[in-house]
Amino acid sequence: MKPSNLKPLGLKPLEINPLKASPHLGAALFYLGIKNAVVLMHGSQGCASFDKVTLTKHFRENIPIMTTALDESGAILGGSEFLKSGVKNIIEKIKPEFIGITSTGLTEVNGEDIGSSIKELKQEVGQFPGVNLGYVSAPDYAGVMEDGYKNAMLSLIKDLAEKMRKNLIVLKDKNRGTNLKVNVFCPFSFTSMDFLELREVFEYFGIFPVMIPDLGTSLDGHLDKNGYLQTTSGGVEFNDIESIFFNDCNIVIGCSLFGLVEPLKNLTGLKTYYFSNISGLKNTDAFFDFLSKLTFAPVPEKYKRQRNQLMDAYLDSHFYFLGKNIAMALGIDLLDEFSAVFNEIDCGLKIGITTKTDQNIKKNIKNMFEIFDEGDIDLLDELTFDTGGIDLLISNSNAKYYAEKLGIPLFKAGFPIIDELGHNFKHFILYKGSANLAYEAGNKLINGV
Amino acid sequence: MRLKVKDELFDEPSCEHNIKKKEKKGCKTASPGSSSGGCAFDGAYIVLNPIKDALHIVHGPINCLGDSYNQRTSESSGKDVYFKFGLATAMNENDLVFGSENKLKDGVIFAVNKFKPKGVFIYNTCVPALTGEDIEGVAKELTSMLGIPVVPVISQGFSGSKNLGNKIAGDALFNHVIGKKEPDIDILSDYNINLIGEYNIKGELLYIKKALSDNGINVLSTITGNSRMEEIMYSHKAGLNVVICSKALVYLARKMKEKYGLPFIEESFFGLSATNTSLMHIAENFHDDKLINRVKKYITARTKNTQNELEVYRRFLSGKKVLLYTGGVKSWSLLSALNDLGMHVVATGVKKSTEEDKDRIKEFDKNGNVIMLDNGNPVNLIKTIKEENIDILLAGGRNQYTALKSLIPFLDVNQERLFPYTSYEGIVNLGKLIYFELKSPLFDFLKSNFLKKAS
Repeated sequence: MKPSNLKPLGLKPLEINPLKASPHLGAALFYLGIKNAVVLMHGSQGCASFDKVTLTKHFRENIPIMTTALDESGAILGGSEFLKSGVKNIIEKIKPEFIGITSTGLTEVNGEDIGSSIKELKQEVGQFPGVNLGYVSAPDYAGVMEDGYKNAMLSLIKDLAEKMRKNLIVLKDKNRGTNLKVNVFCPFSFTSMDFLELREVFEYFGIFPVMIPDLGTSLDGHLDKNGYLQTTSGGVEFNDIESIFFNDCNIVIGCSLFGLVEPLKNLTGLKTYYFSNISGLKNTDAFFDFLSKLTFAPVPEKYKRQRNQLMDAYLDSHFYFLGKNIAMALGIDLLDEFSAVFNEIDCGLKIGITTKTDQNIKKNIKNMFEIFDEGDIDLLDELTFDTGGIDLLISNSNAKYYAEKLGIPLFKAGFPIIDELGHNFKHFILYKGSANLAYEAGNKLINGV
Repeated sequence: MRLKVKDELFDEPSCEHNIKKKEKKGCKTASPGSSSGGCAFDGAYIVLNPIKDALHIVHGPINCLGDSYNQRTSESSGKDVYFKFGLATAMNENDLVFGSENKLKDGVIFAVNKFKPKGVFIYNTCVPALTGEDIEGVAKELTSMLGIPVVPVISQGFSGSKNLGNKIAGDALFNHVIGKKEPDIDILSDYNINLIGEYNIKGELLYIKKALSDNGINVLSTITGNSRMEEIMYSHKAGLNVVICSKALVYLARKMKEKYGLPFIEESFFGLSATNTSLMHIAENFHDDKLINRVKKYITARTKNTQNELEVYRRFLSGKKVLLYTGGVKSWSLLSALNDLGMHVVATGVKKSTEEDKDRIKEFDKNGNVIMLDNGNPVNLIKTIKEENIDILLAGGRNQYTALKSLIPFLDVNQERLFPYTSYEGIVNLGKLIYFELKSPLFDFLKSNFLKKAS
């Protein structure tokens, strides 16, 4: 069928190989970056199971997601009893420090008053010292994974701000010394290695970062001395999240988190800095300049060297990008990150497909691409139907078929990646990560597979 | 609209939960606050998805499909294969307010125009089930409009577990697909069977088919590994249904027996002895001495060859201790395969097993003291492994990291397995993999070097 017979792009009545995933998957991912945590999904058992399976395959790690397992009566008459007994069972059996609760499409649509259940639960949970609850509403039919992640973040900070207002948070760590302590909010598109490398940058500047969430230490894949754990085995300590109000500033990275900047400023009362991405030479320079000014310290030698390495990587790889065209089907953050690097190398950005996002966020990125649209991965099929002319596809594991059909290499990035090892060890931000990206994408073009 | 699934689907005479409670409510395995298996939709999708020339369209918000499609390891051959495509109506807020039956209709028409499939399965999920959309009506209308079967699968997740979903899928096939076509006479042989519950994981169907065709037994249709709509439509013309390792789809076999008089047997192709027994049972069901003699000879020859190939693994594996933790039927079918390897199964999971499964476990338990594990939470598994000095855990993907993080050797025997384990070739694969996993010095090396220093 010719594309002219198709409905206008983005108005298809169904998704074919969806790029987007549901908000509660994003919310779960946020909670998984908190130490000693368990996620509880309020819905039918499949909601939790699908998310758990995909995250397990992507990270190749234990993923502590539990379900409230609503049955027919719960679905129709309301499931607050399921939610309450779920939380109690988890506290009794697992004793986590944090339980992150999300709703699902099912429990949103049956009109259940989850808010008041959570309120009651919080009072009851008060009897168990050391257990904290977080809750976010994450209906499957509104928004995408990025929204769930962002909303879970915001809802937790809101709760804590309320607690702070009531003077219920006391600063535990009084011997803070003179080191700067900053709150860092990163998108989930960062790999675990990205999180760890970014942490190191802060540490080189003598700054203590509180990363909310910290997907670096929780999902990087490490052997814990206690062996198998029923909760997350790393991540940011809940105590550290509670005391963000006493820290020096907020740093928000990632265009999908742009909407957090204002609320964070208001809720914490701290200066809040925003970076759309920290990839490519220009953007990483800006980030290091910022840290330099913040600390009154020069950029460490290590990173000056990495900067020179990046420039060399651009030169070495640029031959293979000459006159080449790239198509990307990715979440908005990765589109933003990657196009910063490919723009500097001067590679053709022909097609950009992403999930539904804020028009304001889209504006900047849109201009970088020849064709830019929201939709599913199958849009590639329509967009390349009679044009072709794509040399490299960058997307997740689900795009395999399209790369095969077009006879071009697939560079795997984004979520989920289930047929490749060690994705979490990849690193695509800052100077070193940008060089990695140029090399790895260049290699795909050299090899043609 | 039908919110409740048929009571008939809960009617499982061999299930202990029914015997005890005297009410046919089936098994509710998940409790709030636990980590559970999939829902009814998951179960239905797994069964039907391998039908390769049909489209599988999920009617619901994005999560039911979007969070997890394209992950099963069923394999298929041929050109018009559609199960690489995940299709969903991805309901949004507007659809909730204004209804989305029309969106579903448009979606099916769009996809049928694009792919030209031989059939469509529409899966109902929790949200449209609650808002009361009539997908059976939509399916009926589309069937007559498009001229291909459009099958409604009433599989909202809150109805129950994955196992129930398997049955719902069987019910959908029985009501809307099976018996709708007659086979060409030249594809029939003297002995025609259907394989039910075989999904061609990692190409396992090929091995089974080889053993059968070597004996002149024709697999008329497979429900549903590497299958096409057409073969399922005329599957009622087979002489025998062979249900492979699936309690849930016995339901389908029973319905086919009632309607078409088609007898069925339950068999397993895991392991040497099970494969031999299955071939023999199939032959015996045709009451044909020629076939029975042929199969007998074949079994003798293949057994000898296979045992020779297994010898080196057997010698090493003999007496090694296994904890087997897997679903229902496999709790005994794999036990039998591990017996063939000379291994000692110390404990097996019975959480999803029926009374009948448990009897089979006892039948295959050489030492007469196998531990039946009802509680399969990871902490309990590790405890049993440590207490019983178990050498290896054989389980599904969700327990992989339970074992690895505790430095316990592991092999996936569920759907994420890396190689086919069925039939004669399969048991050699299985023996080889367990052999190398246990022989590997890696676990001891890490134990002595890591755990000491990390603490």
